[in-house]
Amino acid sequence: MSSNAVEIESLSKMFPTPSGLSRFAVLESLNLQIERGTFASIVGPSGCGKSTLLNIIAGIEAHDSGRVCIVAQNGTNSAARIGYVFQSPRLLNWLTVEDNIRFALEAQNIGKLRWNERVKKYLDMVGLAGQERNYPLKLSGGMQQRVAIARALAIEPDILLMDEPFSHLDEITARKMRVDLMHILEHAHPTILFVTHSLREAVFLSEEVYMMSVKPARIFKHLRVDIPRPREPEDPRLFDLEKDLVKEFFAVLERDYR
Amino acid sequence: MKLSRPALLPGLVSLVGLLLLWQVVSLFFLASFLPSPAELLSRVAAIFSNPPAYLIVGKTLERILAGLVLSMLIGAVIGLVMGLRPAVGSFFDSWIMVLLTFPAISWAFLSVLWFGISDLAPIFTIVLIVFPYVTMNVWEGTKAMDKELTDMAMVFRANQFLLLRKVLIPQLMPYIFSSLRISFALSWKIALVSEAFGAGRGVGKELMYWFQGIRADMMLAWGVSFMVLMVLIDVMVLKRWEKRVFAWRQIAVA
Repeated sequence: MSSNAVEIESLSKMFPTPSGLSRFAVLESLNLQIERGTFASIVGPSGCGKSTLLNIIAGIEAHDSGRVCIVAQNGTNSAARIGYVFQSPRLLNWLTVEDNIRFALEAQNIGKLRWNERVKKYLDMVGLAGQERNYPLKLSGGMQQRVAIARALAIEPDILLMDEPFSHLDEITARKMRVDLMHILEHAHPTILFVTHSLREAVFLSEEVYMMSVKPARIFKHLRVDIPRPREPEDPRLFDLEKDLVKEFFAVLERDYR
Repeated sequence: MKLSRPALLPGLVSLVGLLLLWQVVSLFFLASFLPSPAELLSRVAAIFSNPPAYLIVGKTLERILAGLVLSMLIGAVIGLVMGLRPAVGSFFDSWIMVLLTFPAISWAFLSVLWFGISDLAPIFTIVLIVFPYVTMNVWEGTKAMDKELTDMAMVFRANQFLLLRKVLIPQLMPYIFSSLRISFALSWKIALVSEAFGAGRGVGKELMYWFQGIRADMMLAWGVSFMVLMVLIDVMVLKRWEKRVFAWRQIAVA
């Protein structure tokens, strides 16, 4: 049995061109293995197919060829649980905060007896204790995204997908959320696949960073960030790492666009 | 803190002005042709001091309720299915258009021919006229549903029933409520017209009776009192209900 949570082999995905006459490859022979319990980031420019990749893993988009496998934690036969934090919170605004989390628990067929404990545990974890009965529209954007994170964690997923979850927030809130996420992950250790266009965000949060190029997207660099966590956002080692990666990125992008 | 209310004065002036005008004009006519406000009020009091009047109103309300509930159910279900299954949508599209354009008054007559003098005739008339509006409205609502929320539900593996209950139908509630209030207003007007031709008892029948007796005062007394009752139901029941259902929309004011 492998210790991988995600195994992707020669994945390809075609999209029709805007004219509809032909098709181009968004993803071509993409390979990716993520070890269980790892925080992995995929960094790439906007429109490189990162979200498409997450949607394929999540099962809401089809792919043309290749193999995508999410390995369930206990007993490989049970269907893997997938948690997803989207760019926008995507909460059900007509349900209270706790009912939004219960919705995910009910969807996953998690026994009713465990609902209250899960709701409390994960709302506490994201710092929203006391907001159970509030409606999402009464919360700030940052708090709504915290509810979305609690919802995704509450199902105790085999893999947690995060698609630029802080990109819609103002920079100060986003920064606080990143630090808080790091602390949340001291209590819960899901496997995370985090997609972002920000190298700084990726090196700050992740243990593994995969860099993606555009059209067709392929992973051209894999890097392990060995700085122990929790990390400080101002850690000079992170800055150095980011600087090196930016250089490398531009070299590849220039070559690709030529 | 000052409550910001719409200014009362202009409304009051227009109401008093209307009553005065009515009073003056009524002086030139017989009370049975155009009663004064006070005379009208005495007719209303006379009608409702008589116990059978309540049975008559009750009978009409019963038909309105039955017609309204059936119209909402049939209309919402068809509208929802049309939205979720595009093939069903294009299948029913032309049918709904036919029903919407068919003259409403024809249904009132046809239903009497088909069902005779019975409860069925007014209810059938209400349903055939009202449900297509509900269907169109709900169908419109399905087109405005957020695909991103459906995707979210799919990722979390919600089954069809949970998706419908917690994600799709709540998004249709604004359309369902606007349909409900329009349908209610339509239903009671249709009920009265239909009862005039095809009912043994009911407010519409009363209007027909007094029409044949050339008693405009009694027709007005029935019409006005029923109108007041309907406005009360709209404000006390429907509006309040709507406010409760949409409590989640009220964003906190700092």
